[in-house]
Amino acid sequence: MISPDLSDPLTGPFWQGAQAGELRVSWCAACDRAVWYPRARCDVCDGRLHWQTLSGAASLVAWSEVSGPLNPDFDTPYLTGLVSPREAPYIRLVTRLVDCCAADLRCDMAVTVRFRALQPRRGAAFIAPVFTPA
Amino acid sequence: MATQSLRALARRARVPDWGESLMLEDVRGEVAITGIGETPVSGPSGRDPRTMALEAVAAAIADAGLRPEDIGGLMVSAGIRDQLRPEDFHTHFNTSQPLWFSTAGGAMIWAATCTHSAALAMRAGKARHIVNVFAVDWASRRAAGSGTPGDWHASEDMKARFELPFGWYPQPVYFATFARRYMHEFGLDSTQLAALPLTFRRHANRHPDAVMHNRELTLASYLARPPLADPLRVEDCCLISDGAAAWVMSPAEQAVDMPHPTVLVEGVGHGRVQGAPYISQQPVITATPQTFAAPWAFAMADTDVTEIDVIAVYDCFSSTALMQIEDMGFCRKGEGGHFIQNDRLFYQRPRRLGGIPCNTHGGLLSHSYLLGISHVVELVKQLRGTAVNQVEDTRIAAYAGFTADEGSTLILRRGER
Ligand SMILES: [Zn+2]
Repeated sequence: MISPDLSDPLTGPFWQGAQAGELRVSWCAACDRAVWYPRARCDVCDGRLHWQTLSGAASLVAWSEVSGPLNPDFDTPYLTGLVSPREAPYIRLVTRLVDCCAADLRCDMAVTVRFRALQPRRGAAFIAPVFTPA
Repeated sequence: MATQSLRALARRARVPDWGESLMLEDVRGEVAITGIGETPVSGPSGRDPRTMALEAVAAAIADAGLRPEDIGGLMVSAGIRDQLRPEDFHTHFNTSQPLWFSTAGGAMIWAATCTHSAALAMRAGKARHIVNVFAVDWASRRAAGSGTPGDWHASEDMKARFELPFGWYPQPVYFATFARRYMHEFGLDSTQLAALPLTFRRHANRHPDAVMHNRELTLASYLARPPLADPLRVEDCCLISDGAAAWVMSPAEQAVDMPHPTVLVEGVGHGRVQGAPYISQQPVITATPQTFAAPWAFAMADTDVTEIDVIAVYDCFSSTALMQIEDMGFCRKGEGGHFIQNDRLFYQRPRRLGGIPCNTHGGLLSHSYLLGISHVVELVKQLRGTAVNQVEDTRIAAYAGFTADEGSTLILRRGER
């Protein structure tokens, strides 16, 4: 199933955040750093983790325009890629690039979050944090 | 020769800090590959993996001049369905000897590391002659709509939670993303990248067993193809195939009395990146875990890239092969796009002429997608002097294995006899 499970205790808060218009990542207060992907405890200090809301400013690491019949879950073409949030440049978020075309994109360009419904070919649409050139 | 301690190997095999080399004991010169066997490779064949595996195993045992009852060990892949089991071996060959069994074999990274596991098993007296085999029927399965290579990746939990919902899937999409980053950092363009699929296709065109034997590819036709996942075209992505291959490993001191020139296991390396198994979080996406495997294998073999005559690189994608050629040390990081021009990887440009022949059977892009086991079989043929696209005077060969977050290196040397 492609649509995320909002009730999953480990990963659901990311998707609940998107519904609330917030970009959230798993964070260790003691280490003051993002822990991504989320885990039960911090992998460095074994401390408790919480969900931290970020500004939504990020840098585009790289992307691909998917045109061929590779992914049965989504209509093509679409732009997908990796961004690094400004507050945690050492992690990467998998995302979509929206409101732009491939020719508008450059690695390391500033991007900013948007919240959009993604519609898989099967199953319910869901709100996801996606990015667009800033 | 004197065995090197783990500490000595670690001192020689310096690696960057975003991954690690696994501490493999020195097994240099202990094991030989004494028999090889292959089935035909093809698109959908309707053949099941165990039937194909048995055919390859029987051929490998016969090639080694052995009988099935001489085999004391069986190594297969853990992660791929329908691999051979000891009971299949005994039923098929009507044998009953004890079979040491390991799922640390097969293809991908294990096509290299299984030689190390086999060496340790031989040292411990668990077996003398050990078969490694890998079989796959993904072409048939895809045609039947019943599973593809992507399913294996989709089963990883965080990929399912945070990557699949965005469509960053399946494998061509992530390696296209990494290739885009590489192009940005190092100025690689599609015309340069084309050297890999074009060279491997020329090897396949001369190799009657290759799936793409009859399909020629020109630079113009490559560039005219629409991207599948930009910047990768379909020719940059591995085939999907049916087929099997196998080899027999024997104690080196027995190999000298066996039918073929001795092919010795000289060095083995196994590397892993931080962030595993999620390559979206790999600290450096313009390099591969080969960075952490090759130095250990070269240290164990007491050799370096200047002595390697022929290589076989896991080319699930052209860009992944390019990065691994760099990460083995054949050129500096970022110079690969330039390095591979002018037929540098073609079998008729040997080291003497500045080349480094690569994937002389056609690779995963143009021979078949047997996930690397055919790459090692091809290197054995090159060292025996019996390859279709034979490189001149091959003494030392290297295989680069890959499974996204892990890499491996195998150094093979032709024995003197
Ligand atoms: Zn912590």
